[in-house]
Amino acid sequence: MNVVNNSEPILLDERDSQAGKHVKIDKKTLSGYLLASPPLFFLVVFFLIPSVLLLVASFWTAKTFSMEPAATLANYAKALGASGFYDSLWIALQNGFWTAVLSTLISAPVAYYIVYRTRSNAVLYLALISWFSSYLVRVYAWRSILGTNGVINSTLLHLGLIDQPLDWLVFSKFSVVLTLVHIMLPFTLLLLVSGLRDIKKDYLEAAADLGASGATILWRVIIPMAHKSIVSSFMFTFVLAASDYVTPQLLGGRDAMTTGLVIANQFRSVGNWPLGAAMAYLLLIVFMLVYALLLGVLRAANLAPGKRYHD
Amino acid sequence: MIRLFTYVYMLFLYAPIAIITLFSFHSSASLSFPFEGFSTQWYEALFSSSDFMTALTNSAIVAAGSTVLTTLLGTFSALALMRMKGRVKSVFAFMNFAPIALPGLFLGIALVIFFSLIGLPRSLLTVVIGHTLFTFPFFVESVRSRLEYFDLSFEEAARDLGATPLKAFWLVTLPIIGPTIAGAAILAVALSMDEFLITVFVTGSDTTLPLMILSMMRRAVSPTINAASVFMLVVTIAIIVIAGLVMTLRRRRLELERAETAE
Repeated sequence: MNVVNNSEPILLDERDSQAGKHVKIDKKTLSGYLLASPPLFFLVVFFLIPSVLLLVASFWTAKTFSMEPAATLANYAKALGASGFYDSLWIALQNGFWTAVLSTLISAPVAYYIVYRTRSNAVLYLALISWFSSYLVRVYAWRSILGTNGVINSTLLHLGLIDQPLDWLVFSKFSVVLTLVHIMLPFTLLLLVSGLRDIKKDYLEAAADLGASGATILWRVIIPMAHKSIVSSFMFTFVLAASDYVTPQLLGGRDAMTTGLVIANQFRSVGNWPLGAAMAYLLLIVFMLVYALLLGVLRAANLAPGKRYHD
Repeated sequence: MIRLFTYVYMLFLYAPIAIITLFSFHSSASLSFPFEGFSTQWYEALFSSSDFMTALTNSAIVAAGSTVLTTLLGTFSALALMRMKGRVKSVFAFMNFAPIALPGLFLGIALVIFFSLIGLPRSLLTVVIGHTLFTFPFFVESVRSRLEYFDLSFEEAARDLGATPLKAFWLVTLPIIGPTIAGAAILAVALSMDEFLITVFVTGSDTTLPLMILSMMRRAVSPTINAASVFMLVVTIAIIVIAGLVMTLRRRRLELERAETAE
């Protein structure tokens, strides 16, 4: 232990520290702050300021691919006044909801298997490796499998099992959600595994010894104790899938205009940045509402007991 | 039952990847079974395309730039987090994570507005900044849990013995945390190679590998896209496996050393 460092805190006079205005700052804490300053600088300049600017810009007026400072709610009014915005939001929310529900449900048994049935991490690592196989590559893979001239259709045609390509396979809600689920699965698996790791097998065995059935253990022990990671698995997947603008564009049908795509188009082709910024913040607000709703539902169903189990 | 489910799950994860890999070697352009024969023509077409070579070079430049930046900033963050406590620590940790709590779309459009207002033209430099914003949180997250166990008193001992802070870092801290940093840096390379949600917005006229694949996909269906996808897949997976090995080998060695000292 470094005696010098610990015995030499910059002591302030007693009155101040009693009033709680200052805490004693020792060298270790100070060097921590110093080390934190370069990354903090980067985050403030390239993350915090741009995020605030995006909010500010949502109150400005548009010129083609640039903006003029103003203080108008016109962009929000325009977004909320157009029925297309609600349609896009509805599609985005559906994509997000189904992707999050399906990925979480499908990954849960696998997470259970990894944590309680096998001692090796091989399954988890294999799944994570597939997560790093590019997002775009997987979108492309599904397109070549499901497409009109894709693997399934052309093979079925070749075998004479169908005489028309199955058109619901691709450019539909089905293909978008299937692809998004495929992309998100490893991620939900990782979050659920880390949640289950906190629940010792002893608890499950104790519950079983006391006569609880499998379903009771699931509802009364596992879900309440793992609710935090279930919520984060659901929310992360929901937000990523609902704001996605590439999968719907490449695999969705004509009605696959999601809010993310509408926003992206404001920046890429239409050139109305303030409107895009306003829509982006509206979408963020909707995400927060969904989060609040999810927590509310879990609390009401007594599945989110707060901290007491962990203490 | 649950074991079978797990196998089906893994099959679902890997089948699409296996299928495009298979068809990237197909001798005909059709995506249909039965398979007509093997050929490397799509790879030959890919590697002889100058667009592909340009995109690959750009991706490599961006990955190198953003990884260096991420590693520098991320190491500062990790060292700072080891010294922080309580509320300050959790606020700083949250700030480090915040960029990936938002979808790439938000980061992309926020950066476009920012760059345009400060008058920085979009180029590979702005792409590097965008990628760093995305890879930095992953870097810090993957390094953080492993560095929780680092004992700061080693460094303090070096300081007591007269080492300057820099020397103490170079001779004591870095050899211990180095492999963790290296593993996380390789991870950053892989993330940068794949990134396109932010890149779409912050790039000027330069294309990267994922952007090239994206524009090929918009234009037409050609097995060359299969070849490009498989190429990208192999690159990323190789990088990830190397990162994993670097990190696990290091842990094995530590465990072994610990076991030996315990005996």
